[in-house]
Amino acid sequence: MSDVAISVAGLSKRYPGIQALDDVSLDVRPYEVVGLIGENGSGKSTLLKIMAGLVKPDDGKILVRDKPVMPGDFLAAARAGVGMVFQEQSLLLNITVAENILLGCEGDAVRFGLYDWKKLNSLARRQLDKLGCDIPSDANTGSLSFAQRQMVELAKVLAIEDRIEGAPIILLDEPTSVLDAEEIDTVLTQVERLRQRASIVFVSHRLDEVLRVSDRIYVMTNGRCVAERDAKHANVAELQRLMLGQQLTDEYRREGESHVRVGQVRLSLRNLSSPSRYEGISFDVRAGEIVGLAGVEGSGREAVCRAVFGADGPGSGEILIDGREIRVSGPAEAVDLGVGYVPSERRVEGLVTSMSVRENMTLAHIDVVGRGPLLDFGRERSMVTKWIDRLRVRTPSVDTLAGQLSGGNQQKVVLAKWLIAERPRLLILDHPLRGLDVGAKAEIFARVRELARDGIGILLIADTLEELIALSDTILVMRDGAITARFDAGAPPPTSLEILEHMI
Amino acid sequence: MRAALPALAPSVVLAALLLGIGVFEPSFLSAYSLRVLMGESSPILLLAVAQTTVIMLGGIDLSVAAVTSLASVLLALILPGFGVWGLALVLLLTTAIGALQGYIHVIAQLPSFVVTLAGMGLWAGIALSIAQTTIPVTRGYSVVGWMQGSLLGIPTSFVFAAGVALLIWLALRQSALGRYVQAIGLGETAALFSGVRVDRVKIATFALSGLLAGATGAALVARTYSGNPSAANSLLLPSIAAVVVGGTAITGGFGGIGRTIIGVLIISVLRVGIAIVGIDPGYEPLAYGLVVICAVALTMDRTRIAVVK
Repeated sequence: MSDVAISVAGLSKRYPGIQALDDVSLDVRPYEVVGLIGENGSGKSTLLKIMAGLVKPDDGKILVRDKPVMPGDFLAAARAGVGMVFQEQSLLLNITVAENILLGCEGDAVRFGLYDWKKLNSLARRQLDKLGCDIPSDANTGSLSFAQRQMVELAKVLAIEDRIEGAPIILLDEPTSVLDAEEIDTVLTQVERLRQRASIVFVSHRLDEVLRVSDRIYVMTNGRCVAERDAKHANVAELQRLMLGQQLTDEYRREGESHVRVGQVRLSLRNLSSPSRYEGISFDVRAGEIVGLAGVEGSGREAVCRAVFGADGPGSGEILIDGREIRVSGPAEAVDLGVGYVPSERRVEGLVTSMSVRENMTLAHIDVVGRGPLLDFGRERSMVTKWIDRLRVRTPSVDTLAGQLSGGNQQKVVLAKWLIAERPRLLILDHPLRGLDVGAKAEIFARVRELARDGIGILLIADTLEELIALSDTILVMRDGAITARFDAGAPPPTSLEILEHMI
Repeated sequence: MRAALPALAPSVVLAALLLGIGVFEPSFLSAYSLRVLMGESSPILLLAVAQTTVIMLGGIDLSVAAVTSLASVLLALILPGFGVWGLALVLLLTTAIGALQGYIHVIAQLPSFVVTLAGMGLWAGIALSIAQTTIPVTRGYSVVGWMQGSLLGIPTSFVFAAGVALLIWLALRQSALGRYVQAIGLGETAALFSGVRVDRVKIATFALSGLLAGATGAALVARTYSGNPSAANSLLLPSIAAVVVGGTAITGGFGGIGRTIIGVLIISVLRVGIAIVGIDPGYEPLAYGLVVICAVALTMDRTRIAVVK
């Protein structure tokens, strides 16, 4: 019986312009949870993908239970019992939950090429029950919310348990980053339970989660594994320092910031209603004010934001920008009126990942780089470079494909897209810190504060209540499509509990 | 070098074909023969340019050939009476046809494949019901006849087509509209959420396709001195093949006019060259297919396209 479930040695991987992994070695013992922490771009995702066999490293070896596994061979890794839950989900949306969970390994739920639905559903049910999840196994995956799909992903990887001898190796890549408090607790409890039957590598930005479930922690920076610590004796400040390579200043605490000078009304919603999504929504956002919307899934806050941007038309009610009523039939009108939208699905809605940083940044307000009927490439380059410097976007060049940047830097490009022309009147930020590490979050926080100081009105939906409280001037709580409470975030700021009460 | 291969491959294929055929039949490389080749390429070039813009948007226009035939028939009927104004009218009409197809595609949310397939049938049907057979053009021919001349030894029709291609190339590369087309082809949702007026860009692109189909109709009338409802039937697949062989991704976003021009030349050289070399015309589709597959296999830029469908 070997002492090690899976070990990697000397892994290196280079992408154009970036050394993603540099001679990384680590091991995971049977029935232990190893936490992996690091900034965005530190190589955590790449490391997991190599371990799962999805990416071929330039160098290095992988051993599962002392038997070498061919790097870059996904099937070999799967046969060896390695399963992965992806950060950006890997489910097929046009089939049912049960089909997704058992995809490729239906076993005897398939007879003569046809599905035995009863068997399939009950097998899937068994996996879902492990998570205490009540999603019906014959539900259509596309109809589930992001958080629900995350649970299905987890169930899918747990299905490995039933298929192999010996303990499976489960790789979790940010499984909790988009879940709410209750769901996170469920997942973490599951991970702790799973320790009895599997070896787990757990990646998360949230140090408290990693510390809670892990036995050991590896810290990664810039593609290298810089430290290994015992979770019980780990020092949070030391870990943060190791991650960032510098002293972390709590940049995103409000620190009783002096009264923001708040100006004219930028956005005014009057009785906005959309059947079965929200009703009677009325509030104002002033210049220089950050209004945060709190609420659980289905509270209607995302739908309201999208209505303001013109992405989902409201049924009735009025939207006024700078006092002028607008009829947004599409995002184009909103953009013309000086509204910007930083969406939550960055890679699909925020950026054209196969276009360069330069082309993405100028897409919304391309007239600023126009000269007559043609575009002035020189001007485009210099404007983009200016903003890359201002927002400190880490990219090899302006022509790098946006899809190759790390999450935090991608987000900065999306932000720059709205700032590159003139100051927008209103910025809508939909989960702007999703999937970002501590350092990137602090930076985006600071930028958003700056923007508010410049007189832009900001409408914000944040991932966690802490972030919302830290960033907003005013907090509106929504539940079931209506506004249930309003808090002024001055000193003393409202507590999470107070807000939570009105959310559920 | 590896990275440059997909970009260079079409030119290499073209050079190889020219040399190969030239070795076999030296007169193929004579000035006269090359001029004929260029003249032959002009209609396909125009249609391929139209097709390139639509394909880069992420769609396809299966109706271009039918619209061309319709245009040739209408021109044959109108030119004698209305001269230049007749030409303008027909071009306006084909542009409107393109815009209509784009409009339906956008408003009814039907895939462009479906809309233009239906269009193909519709416009060809209309052309056939107007004229069951060839309509000769005598009076008013001069309105389009200038295309049959030559400029500095190069057929005017080719100069015209190349000029149009150049214009569109510039627009795609360096205009806001061109940027939008690329963005829509590569990430329509993100483009929409950046304020791009996706609907208008799509309609405009299909309208352009219609306009170019009309111009191709004029070119055909110039060459054959007549209008014919089946004039352009044999041009649809070559126009698409030229785009693909040139290296523009059929899925949208990547590629461009430069690549298409090389693709058109390859296709034309193939069509003409096969006959010259003495291969039985019956084998033409076979040779055709082989070269197309080889060319696409070489030129497809797999580094950028993650999944091949």
